Amino acid sequence: MPALLEVRGLSTRFTTRDGIVKAVDGVSFALEPGKTLGVVGESGSGKSVTALSMMRLVAEPQGKIVGGEVLFKGADVLKMSEREVRDMRGNRIAMIFQDPMTSLNPVFRVGRQIGESLILHKGMSRKDAFDRAVQLLDMVGIPNARDRAKDYPHQFSGGMRQRAMIAMALACDPDILIADEPTTALDVTIQAQILELIMEMQERTGTAIIIITHDLGVVADIANDVMVMYAGRQVEYGESRHVFGDSLHPYTWGLLDSLPRHDSDEKGELVPIEGQPPSLINVPYGCAFHPRCPYAEEICRSEVPPLLATDTGHLSACHFSADPAFRRGMDRDQERVALK
Amino acid sequence: MLKYTVRRIFQMIPVFIGVTLILFILRAPGVLPGDPVRMITGERAIPDALREQIVKKHALDQPLHRQYVIYIGNLLQGDLGESYQRGRPVLDIFADKFPNTLRLAFAGIIVEIIIGLTAGIISAVRQYSFLDVLVTLSTSILVSVPVFWLGMLFQIFFGIKLKEWTGGAVHLPISQMSSAEFPDWAHLILPAITLASVSTAYVARIMRSQMLEAMGQDYIRTALAKGLTRRAVTFRHGLKNALIPVVTFVGIDFGVMMGGAILTETVFSWPGVGREIFLAVGQRDWPIVMGGVIIIVFLVMIINLIVDLSYALLDPRIRYGGDAE
Ligand SMILES: Nc1ncnc2c1ncn2[C@@H]1O[C@H](COP(=O)(O)OP(=O)(O)OP(=O)(O)O)[C@@H](O)[C@H]1O
Ligand SMILES: [Mg+2]
Repeated sequence: MPALLEVRGLSTRFTTRDGIVKAVDGVSFALEPGKTLGVVGESGSGKSVTALSMMRLVAEPQGKIVGGEVLFKGADVLKMSEREVRDMRGNRIAMIFQDPMTSLNPVFRVGRQIGESLILHKGMSRKDAFDRAVQLLDMVGIPNARDRAKDYPHQFSGGMRQRAMIAMALACDPDILIADEPTTALDVTIQAQILELIMEMQERTGTAIIIITHDLGVVADIANDVMVMYAGRQVEYGESRHVFGDSLHPYTWGLLDSLPRHDSDEKGELVPIEGQPPSLINVPYGCAFHPRCPYAEEICRSEVPPLLATDTGHLSACHFSADPAFRRGMDRDQERVALK
Repeated sequence: MLKYTVRRIFQMIPVFIGVTLILFILRAPGVLPGDPVRMITGERAIPDALREQIVKKHALDQPLHRQYVIYIGNLLQGDLGESYQRGRPVLDIFADKFPNTLRLAFAGIIVEIIIGLTAGIISAVRQYSFLDVLVTLSTSILVSVPVFWLGMLFQIFFGIKLKEWTGGAVHLPISQMSSAEFPDWAHLILPAITLASVSTAYVARIMRSQMLEAMGQDYIRTALAKGLTRRAVTFRHGLKNALIPVVTFVGIDFGVMMGGAILTETVFSWPGVGREIFLAVGQRDWPIVMGGVIIIVFLVMIINLIVDLSYALLDPRIRYGGDAE
């Protein structure tokens, strides 16, 4: 049986006035049913575009998927007809977005917006779809769901809107839920609740999840696998305990070092990665990370490092990933990566 | 909602006072030429007794501020005075003309909605296409063409040239053409298009920009991610949001049109409110000018209020009254 989702060599570009943006450059990963994949990386590293490309939702004509395969249950989404893709969207693969304030249509009632995909994909009547929307709202923890379903989005708080978005995404019981920074726009206290809700829904429905986030702590908590992206490329990918515990890529170390620690009272440990992420129009030659990498050598400037398996089995794209001396040379705080 | 409405109605009072005051000041001796009695009687000499009588009747012997108070007092009782020239109550004159203006306004608004919305939507959905360029270009031209000139061009082309070229087989009616030749409604076509020309161009532009803006919003991406067709996303999710400001514009414009289109009505000799005011200005028939302007101001204010109130129905985010938001 083929994997639930297998992405191979996905590449997406945007043609802009300033040049061609290589937003996603040869990204590959796989997802098993019911599992969670975390995608992390700094702003502009191509996380959202990767997700949108899988749904074939990149804005045309500027945006174009220029290569790769997105195999959903063995069928290539990129080769599907417009109709087949629509049948899949919202039905088999659903998506929730970063900002629940703007992602709901302000002029339609929440219940109607949730019911819309049920009418579309399940052929329900308006009335049945509304009733189901009420159930879904109740399931995601909206009190008085029957009344609230008749509200407009502006009558919901931010957290409630994201709950409504989750209800909307889960309406058709999808195989995959893509959550693009689902908590970034919310209060810190609400963030934890929303994440908990997503995990709870996963347990209940068995949906596989791709969660995109800046927050490594979140990924460490909930993801089975992790993909670290930098400048549109995948730099490290594998089981999260290996990516976090046995990382072999200086960029991942940088991300981990910039993570606040709750379990230690050592001070001065929070180190942001120096420099800015590169423009994806002029990606640095060789390893895209070399201008910011404290360990960069000549080869890093001239050759793109291949994504190779390490001895723990996860993949890393650093020229020195396989070099034991390189690893030993790092006096990294092992405790830091005990993130589980 | 009720509180809001009442407040808005109270806000109309200072506008009313302002408008009537300005009109009265224009009427003051020496500001504009013309002796009212002369206007009424014409050039020939009249006996003093008759002159006295006319002055009394229109309260012209009173100081200006007294006249103003008298006028407002009558106005509040629904009396707009009597025309100098026509010897009829101003209200009766406008009651005669208003249905014509209303017909023209309806026809104009229909043109504005059908052509304006369609052009705007097409040029947004097919951004940068030939049609989009065409719409952008023609609206730019249209907003800068004077209405009266456009009306005359229409008359010359559709009423005269076309008739000559086709031997009378195809043409549209212009003013003074016998009604027997055309059904009644056909006389509306050219004036309605002329009247609506500038607004139609504006509606098309507003529609286009609103539609483009709506289609760039996050909720459009959400709708697409649900699996809806492009068409459903455009016309259900995009259009409803984009229409809100357009409906407002059209509503207010309807109010303006109902107040009578002075230029269009004059060019087409359309016997409506606007033309009546135009003629009255030439004749210094102040009661008609004053009454007409007051009626227009009143209509526009009422329509604006209705538009603002219906805005709340269209856009659920807006609630008047203060408690929400
Ligand atoms: N519609 C577009 N037109 C042009 N460039 C785009 C477009 N959408 C994205 N890009 C570019 O693609 C690159 C990747 O963007 P993407 O949104 O995937 O980043 P991200 O990793 O999701 O960042 P963030 O964490 O800020 O959401 C960026 O350089 C961005 O400028
Ligand atoms: Mg993003």
